[in-house]
Amino acid sequence: MGCITNNPAARRYYRRLIVTLLLYAVTLAVSIVVFVHFRPTGPLAYALAILPAIPVIGILAVFGLYLAEEKDEFQRFIGVQAMLWGIGGQLAVTTVWGFLESFVHVPHLNPINNFAIFWAFVGVSIPVLLARYK
Amino acid sequence: MKNRLRVLRAEREWSQADLAERLEVSRQSVNAIETGKYDPSLPLAFKLARVFETTIEAIFSEEK
Repeated sequence: MGCITNNPAARRYYRRLIVTLLLYAVTLAVSIVVFVHFRPTGPLAYALAILPAIPVIGILAVFGLYLAEEKDEFQRFIGVQAMLWGIGGQLAVTTVWGFLESFVHVPHLNPINNFAIFWAFVGVSIPVLLARYK
Repeated sequence: MKNRLRVLRAEREWSQADLAERLEVSRQSVNAIETGKYDPSLPLAFKLARVFETTIEAIFSEEK
């Protein structure tokens, strides 16, 4: 997140984000390898399928922690606004895509992509928001 | 809200970065407040008043 200034809360955010992304890479690799080579079934299959989602959801917690720890209220304000843009953008895109899927049969949008769409809108909104308050 | 931050800073020959350091916020925050695009919370307004050794009313006024 380019907006986040260089202060202790921001540094902690970046550190936690890197760890969470690494955890995501590891859990995704583990799930893929186990599914390809051992074809698990039952509760283990469910657990392994969900495993990479945990660090992905953790990214939200990491951002939440940043908002809780950031002492600069303006930076918090920008962060919260960016999240709102992310939620709004993601809802808009998936709603439009849903109607397209229903009526003109465009390819199915895997819900996994929701997260990427959300963060794409968050990422784009931050420089726009900062420019607005310049 | 209108404010006199630029004047108060100029009187002390402080840059936005100097004020930001005193307030423990980013320079972006000082700029957003100074340009009137962001209204600070009450605690930050009190901090500003303390830094400039004045009252909140001497810094901020209602936009008419």
